[in-house]
Amino acid sequence: MMQFFLTYQPVLDHGLLSLGFAFSQWVVLRAGVFSVASAGLAAIGGYSAALLHLDGGLPPFVTILLGAVLGGLFGVALAWPLARLRGVYQAIASLAFVQIVLSLNLYAEGITRGALGVDGIPKLVETPLLLLLSAGLIYLMHSVNTYRLGRTFETVRQDEAVANSLGISTIHFQTIAFAIGGVIAGLYGGLTAFHSYHLDPAQFGFEFLVAALSFVILGGRRSVVGPVIGTAVLVILPELSREFGEFRQLGYGVILMIVIVFMPQGIADTYLSWSRKKRLASQQEAQ
Amino acid sequence: MSTLRLQGVGKNFDGLRAVDQVSLEVPQGKITGLIGPNGAGKTTLVNMITCLLSISEGTIFLDDHNLTDALPYEGARCGIARTFQNIRLLPEATVLENIVCGFHLKEHSSLWSALLGLGSSRAEKRELEALAMRLLDRFDMRPFAGLEAGGLSYGHQRKVEIMRALATDPKLLMLDEPVAGMNDAEAEELGRIIRELASEGIGILLIEHNMRFVMQLCDFIYVLNSGSLIAQGTPEDVSQNPEVVAAYLGGSTC
Amino acid sequence: MIFQQLLNGLVVGGVYSLFALGFALVFGIHHILNLAHGGVFMTGAFLGLYAVLQGLPLWLGFVVAALGGGLLSVLIEFMAFRPLKKSGETEFGAIISSIGANLIIISIAQKISQTEVMRFPFETFPVIIYRFWGLRVSFLQLFMALMALALMAVLLYFLYRTPIGRKIRAVAGNEHAAILLGVNPNHVFFTTFFLSGALAGVAGVLIGLAFNSIHFMMGEPFLLSAFVICILGGMGSIVGTMVGGLVFGMIHTLSVAYLSSGLTESIIYGLLFVMLILRPNGLFGKSAAGALRVQR
Repeated sequence: MMQFFLTYQPVLDHGLLSLGFAFSQWVVLRAGVFSVASAGLAAIGGYSAALLHLDGGLPPFVTILLGAVLGGLFGVALAWPLARLRGVYQAIASLAFVQIVLSLNLYAEGITRGALGVDGIPKLVETPLLLLLSAGLIYLMHSVNTYRLGRTFETVRQDEAVANSLGISTIHFQTIAFAIGGVIAGLYGGLTAFHSYHLDPAQFGFEFLVAALSFVILGGRRSVVGPVIGTAVLVILPELSREFGEFRQLGYGVILMIVIVFMPQGIADTYLSWSRKKRLASQQEAQ
Repeated sequence: MSTLRLQGVGKNFDGLRAVDQVSLEVPQGKITGLIGPNGAGKTTLVNMITCLLSISEGTIFLDDHNLTDALPYEGARCGIARTFQNIRLLPEATVLENIVCGFHLKEHSSLWSALLGLGSSRAEKRELEALAMRLLDRFDMRPFAGLEAGGLSYGHQRKVEIMRALATDPKLLMLDEPVAGMNDAEAEELGRIIRELASEGIGILLIEHNMRFVMQLCDFIYVLNSGSLIAQGTPEDVSQNPEVVAAYLGGSTC
Repeated sequence: MIFQQLLNGLVVGGVYSLFALGFALVFGIHHILNLAHGGVFMTGAFLGLYAVLQGLPLWLGFVVAALGGGLLSVLIEFMAFRPLKKSGETEFGAIISSIGANLIIISIAQKISQTEVMRFPFETFPVIIYRFWGLRVSFLQLFMALMALALMAVLLYFLYRTPIGRKIRAVAGNEHAAILLGVNPNHVFFTTFFLSGALAGVAGVLIGLAFNSIHFMMGEPFLLSAFVICILGGMGSIVGTMVGGLVFGMIHTLSVAYLSSGLTESIIYGLLFVMLILRPNGLFGKSAAGALRVQR
């Protein structure tokens, strides 16, 4: 048993870290914002956490928290320009942001060590902490869905005109979504830094954002359990089959195409929607 | 008594004058009708009143509040609610959830509480659901609370939309073609509800095509054609106005 | 010196225009962001290369690249975009689907090329340098410029003087009305995607020749540049995109020459970001950024 756990601990850790990034993507999609900026915000959080400790001498967990705060602040800063855009233009602008962060990271070699990345980050983040944080994160996301934030996000996401007619300020709530998503991305960027000994710029590029999007699209964009399932499937699958592991990008591509056409809501949401319809139908018959 | 006042309101779209020099008043407690052929500019006007569209010229005041340059969500905060021409509910949410959305302005739990799932959020959710149930009771639709809004009949969906609009506690309710597609019985019931709402002090702006409905219900009617007001008055006045008759029967629908 | 760079930039800009035009065509007609366009470009380059490696003359290589690019593009339309029309998630879904298609194309290319950077054989294109007015122009640059101009002219002629072109513009203006007037939308989709892919394929070979490198990721930076160009030129304006490509080519080349290439990247993406913010209605006014739309 112990052997099993030890062999697969890295996978579990990887999955728990990915779950954080999945949720940071999930929360902005929840509010109807098509942003993939999490990658850039994670980079900001991760690099800040690592560099403030290695070069700035601050204690690690303080820097991780600072990374989270920076992620949130940059998220809020992004919200203002992105709120003026819709749909694909938000996506492109957020993609541009990720590229800007990446390019500046490479350019500012003096501070960030450029393409080689940052080495020698102490490994302080272990599985128990990740498990605890994941549990906390799921609880928070569940709250978001259940109470006023989720209600408002859903209305803004589905129909802005209606949201406005009910007195909801779209910008205000999209900014909140960006803030939450940014804090989560920044936090998990920092956690990644202190888990993997090493950070490099390419880690937070296109592959990252495709992965984060895939977790949410495969699992579901509305339910809390969606990202959990999406992350679980996409992290475990490469382990189960060596072939999939080699062709990881190809696999992601195929999954994205198939899911968005045949099961656009994602696994969890499709199931929840179906079971809810069944339940309501039988309730209606009972009347 | 609140009144919505439009003065000389106009709207240009790239050189096309969609609305031209419209002045009208919608007082609380009365039912005001806005009629006109298709394309006359009625929905454009409604969109301007609810601040979804910017106004090219003129002013809009609700009592002393200047709504001319207001942001889209400020209309509701000042007490203007509306329903939409093509019913816009959240189709997969339940009727109850749809109505609870309308209570946004009543939400008082802090965002932190909502994020952490604290007691005040839970209490608020229960409170708003209870308020929504009260509305449902009033409209005789309690059994529909848990049903998916998208699966309801047109008439029921309309009522849910009105309930959601009422949830915002409006001074003024704008109904955009509420009885389109309804049979006579449903329309009559809706008429009764509208009269009730007016008697409680809400100002109603009724945009409709159904002439009989409008003539029966409204205290005052404005007639719009090709973006301008061509007539205004009581139902008797308007129904006998030759220009109005011509607009509906004769000329082209521009 | 600066004029030399401007000249270089202009030539490269021509190819950027070809690439961006294919992208703009699809966005203009279908309001879809085809994020697999970079993959088509790359495939065109590889097809041209393999044709030449098999002993075919270069001009045939161009034909192969154009055909291959066009067909691949049509395949992408069929597999990634058409099925979405029924499920209604079009905008968001199209982006996701095209990201997926692109990943598949890139992965296959990576496997086939074994992650190597490949080059055209040395004799593929004659190396002749012309000098005038203190400037240095290679035969290849001349060829690229002429090719780009010729293709742009052909495209303009096609769109504005042929019946099919009229149909394409009709669908771009108002799809429903066009259908009512008897236009078969599927024909239009086929044609636009084919054209888009053909242009990208040719651009791929030209770039492969110009920079002497062909690798599986070569399309990606071009895609982001295409965004910038299309916004610069006003998406949907064919002429605007053409001019935008030339301007972009010059800015890019100057920036790489006088600043560093790393900073150039930041500048270009920064430019994209700023343009999106300042001109939210700059892309196809009707899908205006400020308009209130129902999103699902």
